[in-house]
Amino acid sequence: MATAPAPPPLKFTGSKYLVQRLVLATLTGRTIRISQIRSSSHTAPGLAAHEVSFLRLLEAITNGSQIEFSYTGTTVLYKPGLITGSAAGYGAQGGVIRHELPAECRRGVGYFLVPLCLLAPFSKAQVNVIFTGPGVITSSTESGDVSVDTVRTAILPLLRSFGIENNLELRLLRRSNTGKDGRGGGGEVQLVFGHQVRLPKTIHLMDAGRIKRIRGVAYSTGVAGANNARLIEAARGVLNEFSPDIYVFSDVSSAPFVPAPTRDNPSAKKKTGLGFGLSLVAETNTNMLYSADVASPPAGGEAPEELGRKCAFQLLEAIEQGGCVSAVAAPTMLTLMALGSEDVGRITISKSVLGSEQVVQLARDLRFFGFSGWGLRDGDEEDEVVVSVVGKGVGNVGRKIT
Amino acid sequence: AHTMHGRKQPYRVAELARLMYDDMLSTAEVLRRWKGEEVEAEHDGADDEAQEDELFQRRKAVGDDDEDRIIPKLDYSALEAKWTDEENVEALRHRFASARLTGANGE
Repeated sequence: MATAPAPPPLKFTGSKYLVQRLVLATLTGRTIRISQIRSSSHTAPGLAAHEVSFLRLLEAITNGSQIEFSYTGTTVLYKPGLITGSAAGYGAQGGVIRHELPAECRRGVGYFLVPLCLLAPFSKAQVNVIFTGPGVITSSTESGDVSVDTVRTAILPLLRSFGIENNLELRLLRRSNTGKDGRGGGGEVQLVFGHQVRLPKTIHLMDAGRIKRIRGVAYSTGVAGANNARLIEAARGVLNEFSPDIYVFSDVSSAPFVPAPTRDNPSAKKKTGLGFGLSLVAETNTNMLYSADVASPPAGGEAPEELGRKCAFQLLEAIEQGGCVSAVAAPTMLTLMALGSEDVGRITISKSVLGSEQVVQLARDLRFFGFSGWGLRDGDEEDEVVVSVVGKGVGNVGRKIT
Repeated sequence: AHTMHGRKQPYRVAELARLMYDDMLSTAEVLRRWKGEEVEAEHDGADDEAQEDELFQRRKAVGDDDEDRIIPKLDYSALEAKWTDEENVEALRHRFASARLTGANGE
């Protein structure tokens, strides 16, 4: 059988939406070339530590991927391979891939987990990755990553509506906040994603429903557990007015020890990633989720009361925006809808979420990758839009052919 | 009458559907148009220059937050004011199941 010549790489520019594009490329099997990555920056041109890490993660869970950097790192060519997950023989030891994040990493582990949750359903074998090393930040970060708790309680449950629900586990082996200067943490997280599907189900989410309960996790690493109580009390102070069913867990752990070799003591270790934070999730009676996340800044100087209130306000803001998905989850949901079977899926989204740069860019990127455009029409509520997405039927088959 | 009609109504869904895939515009541009923030500039007829100027300004401004984020940036002091206002609180209450016990309660 004569194979058709490979289609030319799709070209993108800029460091923004890098992960989104890499994920789409992996799912569709298209080669992409991203240029001008921070090329105008004098201090740190090219790919940042977390982006290189993400590329390495892609390489680890796929087989046959080719990644080429330019000399300056401002251009990257990515030819995706097959998503094999943690199958034996492809770098996984005992069915587990250990992915080490460097100490320079400034992004939370949520930055890696959310795209990984998009890829994992389409893997050949189950995906089982442990994020480890001095760069793992399990809390939310100032650069806008969600905490691991939010991924577990507000992103993973979303996949249920696509028929992806068995054997999903996100274990927090060791907590960590952002370290000094916003770099590194030293936590440890394991994602077990054991439910692979051929195609995600077509969804019709039209009714956002009403909030029936609010859950959350307050965490302190290396600092007094009283901070948790203060966070929770402040958040409750705002939210009690709305809902009687609020329960926030409190998790206190010691700070992780990471190696910090000095000249006179090569085996020295230091504590890193001290701090506290709060993750809140509101659930409606139709099982829609809204989430909010705050963590103490690495520089300190913010009282837990202040942060707790901020988190509560963030949650109220997300609830007020309405729609069936919040801004945090919208890209994940919309991408999975586009990958579904060739049928029209519908979802209600608030205008402010749809009218964000990220979502508009996602719509464009999806079309650029050959997915169909979205249909928009007014929803039942005043500021809601019904987005209809025709699936492309890419699923797990498309890559087996290429 | 022309002025009335010429003025676009912001946040119209059909408008966004049209703008979204117009690759000549940057995403920021699309959103500003959709939100009707640029209506005045277009009305003057000097739209080309005005747009280009704004485009350049925007480029410079954007350079700062050239990173992806999942959690949106929020102005917390404004939120504090918003959610301590009784009116807003009342308006949000209908989104909570406990607000009225007579309401259809799903399950």
